[in-house]
Amino acid sequence: MKLSFRLHLLFYFTILNLFSQIDDTTLLNKEMIKLSDDFNSEIFFKKAINFYLQKQWDSTLIYSQKQLVTNNTKNIKGYLHFLRGTSFYHKELFDQAIHEYQLITTKNKLYSLSKMFLGSLYLEQKDYNKAISYFKDLENLSKQNLSFIKKNAVIHNIGVSYLHLKQFDKAEPYLIQSLQYEEQKKDTLELVGSYGEIANFYYEQYKDDIAIPYFEKAYLLAKQTNDFTLKKNTTQNMSVVEQNRKNFEKALIYRKEMEQWKDSLNDQNRIYEVAKKEKEFAVAAKQQEVDLLQVENKLKETQRNIFLISAISLLAFLGIGAYLFREKVKANRIIAQQKETLDELNATKDKLFSIVSHDLRSSVNALKSSNAVLLDNLQSKNLDALEHLLQKNSGIVNGAYGLLDNLLNWALLQTDGGYFHVDTHRLFIIVEHVAYNYKALLSEKAIHFENTVSKKAVVAIDQESIKIVLRNLIDNAIKFSKPKGAITIYAEESGNFWNLIVEDTGLGMSETTRSELLKDSALLSKKEHEDVLGTGLGLSLVKSMIQKNNGKFNIESILGKGTKMIVSLPKTTTNG
Amino acid sequence: MDNINVLIIEDTVEESNKLVKLLEENNYTVSGIARTFQEALALFYKVKVDILIVDIFLNGVPEGITFAETITTVPEAAKPFVFLTSSKDRQIFERAKLTKPYSFLLKPFNELEVLYAIEMAIEKFYDQSDVFFTEEEDTVISGDSLFIKKGKSLKKVLLTDIIYIEVEEKYCNIITEKEKFVILISLTKILKLLDPNSFCRTHRNYIVNINKIVEIVPSDNLIVLQGKHHITLSERYKDLIKKVRTLK
Repeated sequence: MKLSFRLHLLFYFTILNLFSQIDDTTLLNKEMIKLSDDFNSEIFFKKAINFYLQKQWDSTLIYSQKQLVTNNTKNIKGYLHFLRGTSFYHKELFDQAIHEYQLITTKNKLYSLSKMFLGSLYLEQKDYNKAISYFKDLENLSKQNLSFIKKNAVIHNIGVSYLHLKQFDKAEPYLIQSLQYEEQKKDTLELVGSYGEIANFYYEQYKDDIAIPYFEKAYLLAKQTNDFTLKKNTTQNMSVVEQNRKNFEKALIYRKEMEQWKDSLNDQNRIYEVAKKEKEFAVAAKQQEVDLLQVENKLKETQRNIFLISAISLLAFLGIGAYLFREKVKANRIIAQQKETLDELNATKDKLFSIVSHDLRSSVNALKSSNAVLLDNLQSKNLDALEHLLQKNSGIVNGAYGLLDNLLNWALLQTDGGYFHVDTHRLFIIVEHVAYNYKALLSEKAIHFENTVSKKAVVAIDQESIKIVLRNLIDNAIKFSKPKGAITIYAEESGNFWNLIVEDTGLGMSETTRSELLKDSALLSKKEHEDVLGTGLGLSLVKSMIQKNNGKFNIESILGKGTKMIVSLPKTTTNG
Repeated sequence: MDNINVLIIEDTVEESNKLVKLLEENNYTVSGIARTFQEALALFYKVKVDILIVDIFLNGVPEGITFAETITTVPEAAKPFVFLTSSKDRQIFERAKLTKPYSFLLKPFNELEVLYAIEMAIEKFYDQSDVFFTEEEDTVISGDSLFIKKGKSLKKVLLTDIIYIEVEEKYCNIITEKEKFVILISLTKILKLLDPNSFCRTHRNYIVNINKIVEIVPSDNLIVLQGKHHITLSERYKDLIKKVRTLK
């Protein structure tokens, strides 16, 4: 009965892990890296080590095999067998692993480690005698020779092996030595395991009195840890022990506690699950939040876009508005300017009308009174006076006609209604034709007239407009000439122009009058010789007509000596 | 030399009177005055006409243009024109496109302008510009006559009246049955414009009217013309004989 119960005792403490027996794993890894650096040229070896470090056992096996086939350097070979053994171990192919480890020679640095692993592997396979033989080899080695191995693990393993062989007398010293070592190191987990080991050891021998305190020690120590599995196992052991002592009450308490730890273990799992679920929920909530934020962002973006568009359009609208306003202001300014000019022109026109009509009225009035005198003389048959009067009348009419003619031409010019046709003309003939009309007037004033224009002077002009120019110039020359004066018309060549010059020996003019007359708007300029009537219409017409013929106009004058009116007209290009 | 015959087409009596007076003073012959389009047409084919002075507006309508267009449709019958216009009329006239060039006389006109317009009309019509107003030349050659400037006016000589022409440097002596006078014209121009079937060169200095030849004496290198003019026939121009119809 007691035995059957005892079989329930757990041997979980002895569960092996090769690497837990290695003193320092990083040291081994460093050694491996160093090896890979030392054998740089061996690519497969390097790769095998690399995969070993990454714990990819299959790849390690493949590359180590490749390396074994290509290169048989002894140095590497040992390491390769170690790599392969370890890989096989992890693949749980223990026989192969043992075979590989056995191939490692004594010279190799990892020889002792491989022995340790071999021992452990036999222990695993419950071949305790073989295991003990390997461990024993290691037991007496110095610390230096036990490279990478925990000394205590060797002792512990020997103890465990003897325990399994039920050679209690041999097991006892090893286990106690191991326990003492653990107590020194104060590694609680290891200590619990060792206590459990010792307790088992004694319990197996039915040395309950010695065993129970160890069980209790293990139980109490386990209580301090957070390892539920350990707690559960120690408690279960206590329960079995109490049960065997027939102390069922206590056994029950322990059993309950064990159940509690079991639950705790389950709870812990459940808590983990709950936590996981919570986490999932939290993630989902977060995701939702993120989605919401995304939607919000989108909404905001849309709003921003709308705002931006409306801002831009508003700006554009403002810009257009400003532009239009400026244009309007500009237009207004132009209109104002034009209005000013128009007002000025209108005023000029009004003034012109008043002067012209005044002139005409005086002419007509003179004719009227002259005609009355004429009638008187006709009745009294005073024929000498008659001739004189008629000549005077004709003079008045000629003056009035000239004025009217200018007025008409001026009007035509303003409305662009006149006929204008540029053709080739000889200046001499034009001068002759115009001067012909002044023959009478010239002889009356006893003015010597001469036309010495070269017959070669051919110009491209509109005949009628130049005739108007000449008529006015000759008219002026006669008007401002003293009796027995002289008027000469001649032409001079000047580049692409013929300068037609009307020269008189008349009153002349001052520089100010000259520049006044040459101004663009010299219409109705102040007269220097108030006794000589004139509107300024003639000269204005002259300037306009010359301009229309692409010519130039200039005046040279010396006050009291005479005036030169110079009309420059373009030469004919074809007929020179 | 004959006077130039002028046909005046003008509805205003005062204007026509002024023109007639002016023309007659300058030795032109006014062959007729028409007041209307119909009259003008009738007179044009009835009287001798060398040049026409046409008022564009007859009784308020631009019939002057119509008349000009009518007579220019027959090229042989066409004569030089002078159009009487005002500034306003001229624009209307410019719109009517006439094939022959013409001359303008703008109202109011003086004597010089009238004479100038006539001379311009003849120059333009016979396409010989720059003749009457230069010192180098004074004659325009038409199909049947010479228009020669004499003083202020023009004279006319029928080509059929010319017996021969004697070239003397820049001058040409024209010899007709009745008279002998000098004109200014280049030899090349004369040769170019005279009808080669009527006028022929016999010598470096002589051009002869073939129709006036009385006798050719090849042995003496002599041509006898009407009016008993004796002209030298140089070797170079002896081909002339072939042109003259001779009795065999």
